[in-house]
Amino acid sequence: MSKLTISEEDFRKFREFFYRKTGIQFDGGKRYFVDKRLIERIEATGSESFRSYFTMLRFQASGEELQALTNAMTVNETYFFREEYQFECLVNSILPEIVKTKKPGSTIRIWSIPSSSGEEPYSIALYLTEFWKGIDSWDVELISSDIDTDILNKARNGKYSQRSIQHLPKDLLQRHFHKTGDGDYQISDDFRAAVEFTRVNLAEPADTRPYRGFDVIFCRNLLIYFDDLSRQKAAEVFFDALNPGGFICLGHSESMSRITSLFRVRKFPEAIVYQKPEAR
Amino acid sequence: MAFVKRSQTTTVGQDERGYSRDFEGLCAELEAPNPTARRWAARDLAAHPGAAQVLIARLEVEPDAAVREAIMISLTEIGDAVTVQGLVKCLRSEDASLRNEAIEAMKHLPDTVAPVMAGLLADPEPDIRIFAVNVLESLRHPDVEQWLIEVISEDAHINVCATAVDLLGEVGTEAAVGPLEALKRRFPAEPYIEFAADLALRRIRDEG
Amino acid sequence: MSTPQKRILVVDDAATVRMYHRSILEGAGFEVTEAINGIEALEKALTRPFDLYLVDINMPKQDGYAFLRELRKQDIPQTPAIMISTESESRDRSLAYVAGANLYLVKPIKPHELLANCRLLLGLAGGAE
Ligand SMILES: C[S@@+](CC[C@H](N)C(=O)[O-])C[C@H]1O[C@@H](n2cnc3c(N)ncnc32)[C@H](O)[C@@H]1O
Repeated sequence: MSKLTISEEDFRKFREFFYRKTGIQFDGGKRYFVDKRLIERIEATGSESFRSYFTMLRFQASGEELQALTNAMTVNETYFFREEYQFECLVNSILPEIVKTKKPGSTIRIWSIPSSSGEEPYSIALYLTEFWKGIDSWDVELISSDIDTDILNKARNGKYSQRSIQHLPKDLLQRHFHKTGDGDYQISDDFRAAVEFTRVNLAEPADTRPYRGFDVIFCRNLLIYFDDLSRQKAAEVFFDALNPGGFICLGHSESMSRITSLFRVRKFPEAIVYQKPEAR
Repeated sequence: MAFVKRSQTTTVGQDERGYSRDFEGLCAELEAPNPTARRWAARDLAAHPGAAQVLIARLEVEPDAAVREAIMISLTEIGDAVTVQGLVKCLRSEDASLRNEAIEAMKHLPDTVAPVMAGLLADPEPDIRIFAVNVLESLRHPDVEQWLIEVISEDAHINVCATAVDLLGEVGTEAAVGPLEALKRRFPAEPYIEFAADLALRRIRDEG
Repeated sequence: MSTPQKRILVVDDAATVRMYHRSILEGAGFEVTEAINGIEALEKALTRPFDLYLVDINMPKQDGYAFLRELRKQDIPQTPAIMISTESESRDRSLAYVAGANLYLVKPIKPHELLANCRLLLGLAGGAE
């Protein structure tokens, strides 16, 4: 058992520091979670106390520990139907608004970056198939990208553990997956064919330049790892990639507010998303 | 209707940059009626070291926020003395968002901003002095604490001092303790100064 | 106070200023939320409306004017807003009112001045001093 504890004063100091650096604000209810991660990092770095750790955190020139702590403070995994309210928002609010501006016969284009092992873009495809009537009358192009080529291969393969699919409704799982010999679940070939996986480093202009003409972008749980200037440049990339009036959805702990004023904040019943202004 | 895939080549969007990419071509394009074309020109001008002048001139008349943001990013990439001079001019603008954008850009340019900092902190306009302190907020430069100490020791304007105290709470060391105490004595009837100075003092002592 | 706790959004990029306002307002029984610039403020306001906004003018990314204009445009009822500035020139004052402020205060603000004006705009007793 660890003897380290985080005092109320330590917690408040840390909370404010972390909020300033990352924009993530922990309320009192997150106290246990925050303390636990903090103590883990204090021990991992061999620091003697919160105080010495905190000093190191603030003044370390490389910023390495801040990154490690940020990683620890964010939930890193990905899974099917993560932050599902955004997919609801997509089918109930965003797409109905998009199709109003589209000519019949044109294609709706969605970009999901980072894809990680594919749970997010497949969730979008599943959602559109199951919960969006428009899928009968519109073509949808779904492109998903990541920097990591191994993870992209995994995504293309579409084979998932129990843990990854645990939030999927049973009937959906039955309809669109089949169990493999080793107890995993593989998504059906129709869905594997529905998503185009590509390798993109969001921070590399040469990679992102071809990505244009999208109606919706999902960029969830990536910007949190970027520094200020790279975030701002990523926002520029999204701005260029979107059609006027197009939407961008970020992860629930991410916000454009620290990054740019290029986009309008739009509130829908399900979620807050960002919109590229219509051309003037 | 269903999910479709197009070949990679048609996925590739049309590049708006269908004109001459040399310096003159880009400068002309920076005046184009289409804001997208202006943004691309602003961005590509970052590769031309002499472009600061043109970008700054455009900034002053550019109505489109997205183009302005692209110009600011390019300016931070060029980051020469001409850039800094131009940004300083923006601090005097009537336009609050242009002022704030200039402050943001200057924060990224410690080495070129440092030589003009003393002058800004001595500007007759208190607002300019406040903006200068705002720039110090994220300026990674070894003199930041010393500049702030001079401000709280000498500046007669309470809001300039107030802004500096906020920062000293973050970057201040033992060296700031005396000046913070003196500041409280200089503005004895001001609850905000007392609050901010005490907060900064507590932080410095905590970490000392 | 028997009325439900009033909620105030404090919008300022300076941490010390936010803490100063928080300490004064919480001391008087208000519930306080902070935002670091106009966009973050708008996100918070759209998620759960407030009873009063306390807004600094000069902030990075989105200044106070732009925030108030957007706030008034989106489906927010005419919630009172106090604009705070370091500048006392009438130029800023009139811009603030045009953007939708109900009141304009100049820094530094004394605690009793802040409380009296907040109460006034919230229609609470003890507004005038
Ligand atoms: C936590 S996952 C997010 C997955 C999914 N979007 C979600 O929210 O569940 C982060 C992913 O970002 C990818 N990544 C990291 N840096 C990147 C970059 N510069 N460009 C593109 N992807 C990147 C990683 O490879 C990893 O798969």
